[in-house]
Amino acid sequence: MTLLKAEGITKSFRTGDIDTLVLKGVNLVLEPGEMVALSGPSGSGKSTLLNILGLLMQPSDGALSFMDKPMSGLTDKQLSAIRNTHYGFVFQFHHLLPDFTAMENVAFPAAAPAGGISAEIRDRAKMLLGRVDLTDRIDFAAMRLSGGQKQRVAIARALMNKPELVLADEPTGSLDRENSARVMALLREINHEDRTSFLISTHDPEIAKCCDRQINVVDGRIA
Amino acid sequence: MLFALRVAFRYLTANRVQSGLLIGGVALSVIVFVFMTALIRGLALFLTVQTTGQIAHVEMEPPRRIAEVMGPDARFAAQPISTFQRQQIRNWQLMVDQAEQLDHVVAVVPEVNGNGFLVRGTAVAPIALQGIDPSQIDAIIPLSKSIIDGSADLSTGGLLIGAELAEDLGLRAGVPVILRSDRGIERLIPVTGIFRIGLSNVDRRVAYLSIAVARPLLALPNGVTSVSIKLDDPALAPLIAEQLKRQLPLKVTAWQEKNRNLETALESQGRTGNFIQAFALIAIMISIASALLLTSVRRRGEIGIMRSFGISRGFVASVFVFQGVIIGLAGSLIGSALGYRLCLFLSEGITGPDGGPLLPIAPAEGGYVLVIVLTVVGSAISAILPAQAAARLDPVEAIQQ
Repeated sequence: MTLLKAEGITKSFRTGDIDTLVLKGVNLVLEPGEMVALSGPSGSGKSTLLNILGLLMQPSDGALSFMDKPMSGLTDKQLSAIRNTHYGFVFQFHHLLPDFTAMENVAFPAAAPAGGISAEIRDRAKMLLGRVDLTDRIDFAAMRLSGGQKQRVAIARALMNKPELVLADEPTGSLDRENSARVMALLREINHEDRTSFLISTHDPEIAKCCDRQINVVDGRIA
Repeated sequence: MLFALRVAFRYLTANRVQSGLLIGGVALSVIVFVFMTALIRGLALFLTVQTTGQIAHVEMEPPRRIAEVMGPDARFAAQPISTFQRQQIRNWQLMVDQAEQLDHVVAVVPEVNGNGFLVRGTAVAPIALQGIDPSQIDAIIPLSKSIIDGSADLSTGGLLIGAELAEDLGLRAGVPVILRSDRGIERLIPVTGIFRIGLSNVDRRVAYLSIAVARPLLALPNGVTSVSIKLDDPALAPLIAEQLKRQLPLKVTAWQEKNRNLETALESQGRTGNFIQAFALIAIMISIASALLLTSVRRRGEIGIMRSFGISRGFVASVFVFQGVIIGLAGSLIGSALGYRLCLFLSEGITGPDGGPLLPIAPAEGGYVLVIVLTVVGSAISAILPAQAAARLDPVEAIQQ
């Protein structure tokens, strides 16, 4: 089974009368358990590609399949359900919900569809926070955590629903060197232990080196 | 849904100042609603009590019969003339007994009524004569309480007249006056008492006397001209009147039929109140909608991130609708409680010059259940627009911002 397959993906944005072609026929395959770096300079189309692969944006053209199932023609509700159960997201800025605790933030993706934080959800959220070394911050409000801690909470949240694929957009972009290294080590560990696939968008060669393989995006194409 | 409620509650408690102001605004509008409702209903109640306290709630009269005075051949008459025959209820005791059997009837008063004049020297004043049983003097109008000179005891064969009539003729209690009935019968009768009930047409026009004295004056030895009925609840008058109409061959009239102007005035007042209530409700809805729209803009990033990890549009929308419902419920409960306290204070705490309440407000009639239901429903409806705006957010755009 192929985890993710993109064929001839194009994406253009219209500003006034001008069409800007950002992706120009991208082909890409991701296998289960792979940790892949998506690298390239700023403006190369990495983030747009990541959004399309993460089902957050529709391509202008091309075909996308996830776990061998075509993703075209699905409703917003169906796409949301797939994102919730099979995907995890980590962004450059943690984007935690500031009015909730670390545990609640981690539990959120499972609690919302379930209608509440059950004992099972709570236990898993606590286990994940322990895994990212934040056991002592479980009941801390998200806004009281440091930058590195917030990003680790975001990683734990991405893993809450045991996703097959985690998409990370510059996950260390807002962190210092020490925290960057810690986060990458954590992602690698999760990849090894859980066989969770990672697609990490980065322009940092050091981060790219940590991955199994590297895909370069240059001017909207895979180089 | 429960988790959406929890998220909504957390959002509201996270920004206590804004939520507090919002709930305070709703509560203020609810206070206006409660105050206006209690005032309008209190005023209606006051006017109704004032009116019904001084009139019969149901009146029974003989059916109208038109007597032909001229013959059928009108060729020899300038005009065909009709007039009403002298009308009376002959078997009135039977009617009184039957009326007394009905629920809610507290008094049944047979009356002998007619017209006449009071003559004092050269001064002559037209009067409406009402002959009643002296023991039932307060059954329809609380006359005893309204006496300002003399007494209300009609058993001595005297006359009770209104203060304005007494002033017109220069009369006071104990002074005799000539009473001339519309049957041309005259008698010198002493004024037993002078009353002031506050209704000019009664204080200037009506004279009460014992039914025994009235009978010979009005040439009605046996029958009565009407039977007045007092009820424990004036609102039931049309119902009781209908019941009596079915049972008795009489013309039966409820007080509402004779006071159409009051009913029209109360209806107009009620409509004015409805407008004010509607405006208060619109103010509530606009304040909630605008505040939640601002919240949805401020929380764009959070909504975007929720949508990215697969939280449905329905969940996001329900968080905002729940916020509206919580604000509406809290505001309406607080506003209702404060509104009730305010109405209670105005009704009992501040008195006018006469010792009565300054405002005819009815604290129990504030429409509390109505305002709570309307506010909660209105708040939920006003939250729909911001909820839709939040649910439609493009997660990519929201996260990038």
